[in-house]
Amino acid sequence: MKFAIALFAPPHAPSSRRALRFVQAALAGGHQIVRLFFYQDAVHNASSNVVSAQDELDIPAEWRELVRQQQLDGVVCIAAALRRGILNEQEAQRYQRSAGNLDAPWDLSGLGQLHEAAQTADRLICFGGP
Amino acid sequence: MATLHVLSHSPFSDSRLSSCLRLLGPADGLLLCGDAVYALQPGTAQRQALDLMPTAIGLFALDEDLCARALAAPTRIQVVDYPGFVELSCRFDKVNSWL
Amino acid sequence: MSKSLLIINRQSPWSGPSAREALDIALAGGAFDLPLGMLFLDDGVFQLAPAQQPSALQQKDLGANLQALPLFGVESLYASARSLQERGLEQQTLTLAAEVLEDAALIALIDRYDQVITL
Repeated sequence: MKFAIALFAPPHAPSSRRALRFVQAALAGGHQIVRLFFYQDAVHNASSNVVSAQDELDIPAEWRELVRQQQLDGVVCIAAALRRGILNEQEAQRYQRSAGNLDAPWDLSGLGQLHEAAQTADRLICFGGP
Repeated sequence: MATLHVLSHSPFSDSRLSSCLRLLGPADGLLLCGDAVYALQPGTAQRQALDLMPTAIGLFALDEDLCARALAAPTRIQVVDYPGFVELSCRFDKVNSWL
Repeated sequence: MSKSLLIINRQSPWSGPSAREALDIALAGGAFDLPLGMLFLDDGVFQLAPAQQPSALQQKDLGANLQALPLFGVESLYASARSLQERGLEQQTLTLAAEVLEDAALIALIDRYDQVITL
């Protein structure tokens, strides 16, 4: 089964961890993740600047590692990201901000990527809220 | 096309559960996760509403959220782990998460 | 064939960017000519209330964007009769020509779509 995953909640929301565990279980079960799409406050999951206490979960780091290891397509909505201060180097330069905070493996792109993923997948699964 | 509805908000501070219960189709399912599992708290109107759901409606709860909150699921509820959640997502035609 | 998508919009209009971001999903899909519907449910029906003045909150006019939905190919617009009634809104005053449906019709509506996003 091909899954498109859309996340709407920030890293500290339980639904962000839930999405991560769902994706891990889907991959372990032999399913395919066609794309992760981070929208609304979920863009913070792709920030390289989140610092978690040593004895706490580091959800952004877990996402980053999962996307790298499994070579997933991780897309962050550009409009939602800019609005919330999540910029890659290119956008930081474009808007004359002092630094970017979004690197590989994440891509900034538009909402069309959400629709394309939903069209490609057998199931669109959204995670958000608490 | 049967829908698996997914709730994660507490039914005591939010209207999603009541809205969702009104919009459940005859072959739909409902998965409670996060604070939505508080709907299973015994002796509450929310629990009673779930107990009265027709048996054709599949009712599910995520085990980690029950466990963390020391809630027991009644026999009517099927407890699932993450592989079970994935399996439900395949079994139903679509998944509607009430974000 | 393209998969159809129903967006269930439950956000009140001026409580943050959520209402606009829900609308943006629809507008983006409409631009790709995808079969899209939007259902206004619960507090989402407040987006359709007449004579709102977002300028009082220095907000852009969400209503103007809602009017653009049919232009973007999103012509299937629905509102929950119960949500309207509970919130004291009258169908004839709504700012958008949405089809008002009772719960039983909403169940059939959700059933008909391939995919659903509720936010």
